[in-house]
Amino acid sequence: MPVSIQFRQALGKLVLPALILVACGVILLGKADRGLIEKLRMNTADLLAPAYGLVAWPQEKLRWVSGNLQDIRNLEAENIRLRAENVSLRHWYDVAAALADENATLKANLHWIPDNAPTFVSGRVVRDTSGLYARAVLLALNPDTAVRKGGIALDGAGLVGRVTEVGRRSARVLLITDSSSRLPVTLESSHAAAIMAGDNSALPRIIFYPQDNVPIEGERVVTNGEIESLPAGLPVGHVHYLRPGQPVVVPAADLDHVDMLRVFDYEDSVVPPDAPGRVPLPAGGGAMPLPAHPDQGLHG
Amino acid sequence: MKTFTPPPIRPGIHPRSGLGYRIDHGVRSSVPFLFVFFVTLVLSAPLNLPGQVELMPAIIMATIFLWSVFVPALMPSLAVFVLGIWADILSFGPAGVMLLMMLIVHGVALSGRYTLARVNFFILWLVFGVVMVGVTALQWVLCCALALHIVEFLPFVFETVLAFGSFPVLYTGFVWTYRFVVNNADRA
Repeated sequence: MPVSIQFRQALGKLVLPALILVACGVILLGKADRGLIEKLRMNTADLLAPAYGLVAWPQEKLRWVSGNLQDIRNLEAENIRLRAENVSLRHWYDVAAALADENATLKANLHWIPDNAPTFVSGRVVRDTSGLYARAVLLALNPDTAVRKGGIALDGAGLVGRVTEVGRRSARVLLITDSSSRLPVTLESSHAAAIMAGDNSALPRIIFYPQDNVPIEGERVVTNGEIESLPAGLPVGHVHYLRPGQPVVVPAADLDHVDMLRVFDYEDSVVPPDAPGRVPLPAGGGAMPLPAHPDQGLHG
Repeated sequence: MKTFTPPPIRPGIHPRSGLGYRIDHGVRSSVPFLFVFFVTLVLSAPLNLPGQVELMPAIIMATIFLWSVFVPALMPSLAVFVLGIWADILSFGPAGVMLLMMLIVHGVALSGRYTLARVNFFILWLVFGVVMVGVTALQWVLCCALALHIVEFLPFVFETVLAFGSFPVLYTGFVWTYRFVVNNADRA
């Protein structure tokens, strides 16, 4: 259909405002239907995961080689340090062995119910999806592995984060440093419960700690069994004061270079029984029997 | 009966046509689009570059700005829209914000191009800086509004500074690409 030049020009001028309106629509859609956008992104990430793996491989090799070279340079100093450390570790090994023995004996006497071992899968981190607003990594997974939303990701040293989105070949792990991450923790020496709140910086803050029991510099921070999918006692890091009155957690896990992660499934580890939350009333519908009124009062 | 055909104005010089020429021309004119497309793709890969996250919007915005000012035919609004969706899919931020920023930069460049294409390079640089400040401020406001809490604004400042700093490099790249890649087909 032939259209006049004027009409075509007018149409051309309308394209950009229309597209800007569509962009606003996309923003609203992303807010209203989070699932759709997430699905789209995870599908794309799934498609690109092998390519990202290819990019990550030479980097890892390079880091390995450079690490090796550095090791060779520091060999002498390292050896001296390791010997000293070995002596100290040998001592701690004896202590640990004695304590393990004692613990086993005590548990045997107590009819201790052993914890069931959690299942886990390991995966390679193919991409750091941290942006201006989020701290997260993308994990490549075998399509057969059953990783669920809410899985707990650890590296060799401590807690890294939680699985928030699961695709067919990849899963997104929200790091503990993300600003939307809030985890209940226990401070090991002061035995205080607190919340570790990420704020997109490298050191998550400690908030809601008891004011009469403040965190001690350097004490270990472990998870606390308050939420079902996260068991108590996983190592998180240690307390550090940036300035007086501002305690933060220095994560034990190396969150700058996460390359291997284990994702644990604690989903049905400890489920509290259904509790009505009150004392059942005695049968018969009567009120609780009160203790007999002492008649021998002042007037009696 | 013979139909009349006018004699060629300059005999011997014909615009080349045919499949090869059209493919060549098509590839050359889609260079800006492909550049932004692959920059987005590569910078979303785990390269562990310092400031990689902030570099992506910086390069995208400067490229879109330059092509929209000087050669809007090769950076039409629809292409910017497609690139915006692509950047949004790869960036895991709040959906649509990058798209909106790119369209706004494109719109500003397009509406001011008759002035901007003639001004001194340094003034163009300054204008781009101002546009970037405005767009990044909008991004920060939108991010705060969508996340329902105040997002730290230092990374956004860093993004603006990075975009401002990388503009001359991208300008050089743009001039080179325009002269030797896009236009070469008509000269050779």
